[in-house]
Amino acid sequence: MLLKRKVHVAVDAMGGDYAPGEIVKGALWAAQKSDVEITLVGSSQMVGKELSGLGGVDGLPIHVVDAKDSVGEHDSPAVVIRRKSNSSIAVGAKLVKQGKVDGLVSAGSTGASLVSAVQFIGMLDGMSRPAIAAPLGGFAHDVLLMDAGANVDCKPYQLLSFAVAGAVCAEKILRIPNPTIALLSTGAEESKGSEAVRESYQLFKDSGLNFIGNIEGHDILSGRANVVICDGLVGNILLKFYESIGGYAKDWIKRKLKRQPLLKAMTEFFFSRLFPIAQVSYEGEDEAGGLLWGINGIVRIGHGASRAENVVHAINSVKNAVEADIVGSLKAELGKLKQQGKL
Amino acid sequence: MSVEDQIKDIVAKIIHVDKDIITREGSFKEMKADSLDIVQALVAVEEAFDIEIPDEEAQKFQNFGDFVSYVEKQVEKKGEG
Repeated sequence: MLLKRKVHVAVDAMGGDYAPGEIVKGALWAAQKSDVEITLVGSSQMVGKELSGLGGVDGLPIHVVDAKDSVGEHDSPAVVIRRKSNSSIAVGAKLVKQGKVDGLVSAGSTGASLVSAVQFIGMLDGMSRPAIAAPLGGFAHDVLLMDAGANVDCKPYQLLSFAVAGAVCAEKILRIPNPTIALLSTGAEESKGSEAVRESYQLFKDSGLNFIGNIEGHDILSGRANVVICDGLVGNILLKFYESIGGYAKDWIKRKLKRQPLLKAMTEFFFSRLFPIAQVSYEGEDEAGGLLWGINGIVRIGHGASRAENVVHAINSVKNAVEADIVGSLKAELGKLKQQGKL
Repeated sequence: MSVEDQIKDIVAKIIHVDKDIITREGSFKEMKADSLDIVQALVAVEEAFDIEIPDEEAQKFQNFGDFVSYVEKQVEKKGEG
């Protein structure tokens, strides 16, 4: 989708361990480098102070929208919609709903971002809960995991809706034509897995999606399935384990070469500079990591520990998602299944 | 439509269940509602009846019937006021 204007991104200035300082800095950098318009949402006094400290915004497309409240990591997500509807994350979500911005970035509490998105923007017809897609990158370039942590317990029809979203993500963001889809289970047979997985199998089979059956853990990195579907509990554990592999692989190599200093130095150079192995399993984050799929708008969740460069990254991924029209594509795919009575 | 029926409509839509399976004795857990469903239901009911349901009251609801009874009382009070 070609926009004739800059993509406009709202940034929750108060969300994240290093907010508002690092968040405001990242938003400023994005406005300078990424051809986007930014609206910072948060305490106008605090945001203004940060912007002044960074030299001001003269000529840059940056606006500030005041939000009286903010949500702490210890606030229950329910508090956001019941008692803090003027918090920065809630106000940001409302800007998306009102069409005043094209998307929202928050590095604040995941739960608060999720409930704000659901409550204030709403879900697409056919999806009851948003899911997080996690392209694995690195070891498995054409594989994405869904759900990577938004929903601990999932019902079969929800897993099916995640598969639809995963297929759109794979096609639109990873540019994989007709992506293969699998359920993650403890065996390839239809009878394996939890009750939800077993019940989902038939739904997937009848869906018309490019479903290849169940795959097991050892098959994830093979790329046989481009979209691996699981509930958010399994997905989140798996993703964090995967992200830790590179660092441990590097340590393991170092230990093995302890008594060979020359080889150790060469390997250190090789794996730190040329092929930074510790980072390999984070590569997928650059593509669509953290986008909430199924919301009737674009919301991107960042790591709580996001620094300015991560904020730039998150803003760019919202820009890409807007330009790829992921919401329109997902809406169309869900509509097809709904029309056929499969969702 | 009675208050109970209106609440049933709201809850059924949010939890994606058939209205007929909602009984006064049934709990949200039995309806397989998650925490977000419950919060959304509370907010939707608050808005529909223009009342406030404090967290401490909401936590006391053991089943759907408790929820309905509380809302009915609040609606009645509002009518008297």
